[in-house]
Amino acid sequence: MTGRPDMRHFVRTAYFASLLAILTAAGMVSAQTSPQLEVVVTLTQETISLDEQAILEVEVKGSTQDMPSPSLPTLPMFEIYSQGRSTNISYVNGVVEASVTNRYLLVPSKAGTYPIENISVVYQNRRYVGNSVTLTVVSRGASVSPQLERRALDTVGNSKDYFLEASVDNRNPYVSQQVTLTLKLFIAVQYYGSPELVEPTTTGFWTELLGTRGPYQQRVNDRTYRVIERKYALFPTATGEQTIGRATITVTVQSRQQNQRRDPFDIFGMLGAGEEVQIRSQSLTVNVKSLPVEGRPGDFSGTVGRFTLKATPTKREVEVNQPVSVNFLINGVGNIKSVAEPVIPDLPDFRVYKASSNESVSKLDERLGGTRTFEEVFIPKRPGQLVVPAVSFSYFDPEAGQYRTARTEPITLNVIRTEGYAAAQEVPYSAPDSKISADARDIRYIKEDPGDLGHREGLLLTSPLYLMVNAAPVLALMVAVLLRRRREKLSGDIGYARSRRASREARRRLARAAQLATVSTSEQFFGESGQALLSFISDKLNVSPHGLTSDRIQDLLVDHSADPKLVQDILAFLDRCSFARYAPASVSQSDIDQALADAEQLMMRLEEVRF
Amino acid sequence: MLKRVIAGFVIALASYGNLCATPSGQFTQANRFYEQRAYDSAVFVYRQLVSEGMESAPLYFNLGNAYFRSGDLGQAVLCYLRAKRLDPADPDIKANLEFARQYTSVQMEGVRLNPVSSLFESIVEPYRLSMLAWISSGFFILLFGFLIARFGFAVRGALTRAGIWLTFLLLLSASLLTTVKYDQDFLTRRGVIIAQECVVRTGPSEQADKELDASPGLIVEILAQSGDFYNVLFENKRRGWVRKDLLAVV
Repeated sequence: MTGRPDMRHFVRTAYFASLLAILTAAGMVSAQTSPQLEVVVTLTQETISLDEQAILEVEVKGSTQDMPSPSLPTLPMFEIYSQGRSTNISYVNGVVEASVTNRYLLVPSKAGTYPIENISVVYQNRRYVGNSVTLTVVSRGASVSPQLERRALDTVGNSKDYFLEASVDNRNPYVSQQVTLTLKLFIAVQYYGSPELVEPTTTGFWTELLGTRGPYQQRVNDRTYRVIERKYALFPTATGEQTIGRATITVTVQSRQQNQRRDPFDIFGMLGAGEEVQIRSQSLTVNVKSLPVEGRPGDFSGTVGRFTLKATPTKREVEVNQPVSVNFLINGVGNIKSVAEPVIPDLPDFRVYKASSNESVSKLDERLGGTRTFEEVFIPKRPGQLVVPAVSFSYFDPEAGQYRTARTEPITLNVIRTEGYAAAQEVPYSAPDSKISADARDIRYIKEDPGDLGHREGLLLTSPLYLMVNAAPVLALMVAVLLRRRREKLSGDIGYARSRRASREARRRLARAAQLATVSTSEQFFGESGQALLSFISDKLNVSPHGLTSDRIQDLLVDHSADPKLVQDILAFLDRCSFARYAPASVSQSDIDQALADAEQLMMRLEEVRF
Repeated sequence: MLKRVIAGFVIALASYGNLCATPSGQFTQANRFYEQRAYDSAVFVYRQLVSEGMESAPLYFNLGNAYFRSGDLGQAVLCYLRAKRLDPADPDIKANLEFARQYTSVQMEGVRLNPVSSLFESIVEPYRLSMLAWISSGFFILLFGFLIARFGFAVRGALTRAGIWLTFLLLLSASLLTTVKYDQDFLTRRGVIIAQECVVRTGPSEQADKELDASPGLIVEILAQSGDFYNVLFENKRRGWVRKDLLAVV
């Protein structure tokens, strides 16, 4: 029995030990998985005047969506206004990456240099502190150059409502060295719509847009302007004096009249159309220096800037006659698009093919730069430890004013002998990019198929075929509508229908009479012949044939202006038919033939009557 | 260089007698010159075909390539534009046109576009005018088919009514796109600067002030003409007068 408490004690100890272990492990895991935050503090401008404001951005990023708000230190020299926050959340491989940027407007009250530090966030009982930044506030107007102050004045010394200022950061660059051109539109009056810019001509420069900034506010000559800024990277392509042309901005501004005599109904100032003005910058001249001849390396191809060169093989071990790609990566600041391919010397142990090249351009700190990658394929001809020697790339560093050469490290490849290897064996190899892609550095190849090679065709829209095809449905519709109307009239108007078919019906009867034109059937013949004329008259006039007496026929025909001679002939013919039907013995064949001819003639004459 | 050009022409002329009489034979021969890097000879034979009134998108495309290789950027851009008008959907033509235009020494990028017209232009860009015109005609015939059923044969069902409205809307859309394309291809006259040196002036005279320098390969819209000058509008909306012999109409 003495063993029981020991056992309980053991179980209890084990229980607590396990619990402790689990909690410790959980704590460790949670410590490992709790997201690390980073606080990045930036200022849009590091130096401002007392008239200006600066934007302070505090970005908090980390692997959580539950982002805390930062707390700012006391900054007694500034009035601080929140400008809102923006959030960016992304999910990559199931991991949440979030970043929240809080913006604050800092309005200075006194000149001086102010460090802004200890901006922090507290998250899960931990404090994360951001980097320090320094904001320099200079006295009123000190940040504005005298030249800019002069530009802001018109010829009589009044402050301009708007003007366009062009400036370059370097008036004496080397050829191919970046010159940053800044266009600033200063506008102190209300404007409508978006200003339309005609870019300055930059003949003699290779141009790349760096970006547009603004509108922000700046005070010049004690007047607050809204400023829109646009920057370009210009790379001179020729030496000597090069001119940057004038830029023009067309913008609709509030006219002076409108400004002085405001329409009382124009409560928002938007009813007035304003006045369209053209604002032109001044042209600028840059004196471009040629690159020094002294110290120019033999492999220099005209690249200006500051670059590094790195070579990376895709593998270090390869079989004989099998390709291995080496990426030559040139990275740096300068006109990356003009970077030439590094020269690879003749290598007796390799066959070398150019495979592809691509570039990515970056615009950091208003400097154009980036990365250019050249892929070269090396095919070793023999087994062994073969070396791709160092490849060099020379450029001119304009800051230092001298040429520099970047070199790769030699690359040693372990080339394996393959089964059946024979020296000097040449295996045909086609480069992987023989069909050049859209972003390649060459045009696409010519076409083998001549296509529909033929004589020039005229404009389809005026071709007879096209016009006929389009006219046909219109005609078809017209015909269909007419036919339908006729059908409807025939079915709805009995008189019209009888009139339309009168001629056909009478002709049918006459044809039957012609078949009966013999002496033996004279009775039927005269009956049909008489009926043919009677049915024609009754159908045309929409009356019943049964009530048609000679007098009635005469009246009807005379009413429709029929020739009296025709009326008499018809009546005589009808009498002859009646007589012949009741005295058939007296009828000869010639009487029948004559009657048939008369009937046909009368029918023709009747058809000419306008019923 | 001159020797190479003369040799190229001599080869082209000597071979010309042996060429197939058919246009496709001449085309193949020109391609052979191109493959042998005798670009001037290739240009000569391709141009023979064009001067005989022949045209096709591949012909202008290959001629553009031959001009590009022989260093005549203005003519290359002109040929690519002509090829694109015949076959707007061909990605090779588009790629080479864009590629060639990178080489113009003066870049005149458009700065502001009308979003509505840009949208319509981007919709019609891959299609030929004749194709859009035939599509419009198809809807026109279909619409009249429904109208004939409705008014000629009194078919008054909901299907007929829906058919009329649907084909009417389709016809309206297709006609609008056809009009945009027609405007783009025929009403808007485009030209390409082909001269190596081209001064754009403020008026239609050699005595007028210089507005700017243009370079071969720049595409312009021809607004008017006066005497020996065209009034042109560049893509960045700058205007000026250019002597007629310095540009070629697309």
